[in-house]
Amino acid sequence: MLSVKHLSKSYGNLVILKDISVEIGANEVVAVIGPSGSGKSTLLKCLNFLEPYDGGEVRFEGTLVGYREHSAGKHLAKEKVTNLLRARIGMVFQNFNLFPHMSVIENLLEGPVQVLGENRAEVEHRAQALLLKVGLQDKAHARPSTLSGGQQQRAAIARALAMRPRLMLFDEPTSALDPELVGEVLSIIAQLATEGMPMVIVTHEMSFAREVASRVIFMEGGEIVEEGPPEKIFRQPDNLRTQQFLSRVLH
Amino acid sequence: MSSYEWQFTILFQYWPIFLRGALTTLEITFAATALGLLIGLPVGVLRQARSRWVRLPVSVYVESIRATPALVQIVWIYYCFPILFGLQMSAEVTMIVALGIHTGAYVAEIVRAGINAVDRGQFAAAKSIGMSSLLALRRIILPQAGQKMIPPFINEFANIMKLSTLGSTIAVYELLQESNNLIATIYRPLEIYTFLALVFFLITYPWILLSQRFEARLQRRA
Repeated sequence: MLSVKHLSKSYGNLVILKDISVEIGANEVVAVIGPSGSGKSTLLKCLNFLEPYDGGEVRFEGTLVGYREHSAGKHLAKEKVTNLLRARIGMVFQNFNLFPHMSVIENLLEGPVQVLGENRAEVEHRAQALLLKVGLQDKAHARPSTLSGGQQQRAAIARALAMRPRLMLFDEPTSALDPELVGEVLSIIAQLATEGMPMVIVTHEMSFAREVASRVIFMEGGEIVEEGPPEKIFRQPDNLRTQQFLSRVLH
Repeated sequence: MSSYEWQFTILFQYWPIFLRGALTTLEITFAATALGLLIGLPVGVLRQARSRWVRLPVSVYVESIRATPALVQIVWIYYCFPILFGLQMSAEVTMIVALGIHTGAYVAEIVRAGINAVDRGQFAAAKSIGMSSLLALRRIILPQAGQKMIPPFINEFANIMKLSTLGSTIAVYELLQESNNLIATIYRPLEIYTFLALVFFLITYPWILLSQRFEARLQRRA
């Protein structure tokens, strides 16, 4: 589904990502953990080219992301092509980023109607069902600013799902939430996981990563230090840096 | 205090002159504002363009207008346009074009500031659902930036109203020019200039008030 090979990115002399390679299969739920500044959010944003990468490649369902294949070097892909790819990949942000000038349901309709050109009435049907799924059926016509953080993030998840994505990316979806609101958001993500939605989740919630992820990637200093099934990473990590990080965050 | 004897009553019989002047002033103001918006909205957006070749010419326009006096722009357009481009315009049209070009630069800066004031995350969210830059701008960024732009737009409008008096230098019959002519006839400069200031206050201050009301409302909502 998603294939990353020798991905690298830097700002001037500052290396953000170095030589990242990872394969993500259909139905896989991958959690990316690691200290702040380890490059995990940047990696996530490179996957749908919200952040352009410099070296290596990202392929989504076989299509090169962000660039055009060319015999002589690399050229940026046409904006249209990249947009089309992004429309197939859902993204949920740390700060929700709902559109504040629209009601909750309008937030859900915006992409399918404006980008995919779908029939408004049909999408509305689907949007209502999604709001029911995330427990916001009575907030359809509310403005995002009147919702709690947890409700806003659930609405943001519904907005991404309204596009019927093939893959979901979560960028620290609970980091901006009050502790008592974290659970309601995580349970929706967990439900999506059990339904077989492939996803990549950058998170600081270790117990959640352990329960939901089929694979855990530990990043530090812009590279993947270790990856494996959660039981392995959390119980007996091979790498000393992984052990040190986990002992810091788990105790 | 000097013992000047004010005689405002004498002005009353000349009210049609002031009315005529005020109408010309308003005409110039509205037309120049419309032209300024027409120029400034796209220029403000283009100043954010990724391509340097798009940004460069619009930046040259904005900066050269902001760094030269409006009066110089007006006389330049009045005297140089006909010679350079063979474009002969009446004094009033010159005034509208000059103030429109002048205001366009300021409107562009307002637009740019408004767009920059919108949270970066909004652009990321719009992109993440597959929107093109143009669609994101139209559907997500500008509607949010637009609200923030309203108070400075109104201020700019009030500015043009005052700048329209510069038209008297190229003999446009707006309020100041009409007043000067009247002074030449009835020799009452103190009354006439005082009354002129009052008229300007009356037609400008409501806009300033309106702008402040908008600003307060936006702050309450934020």
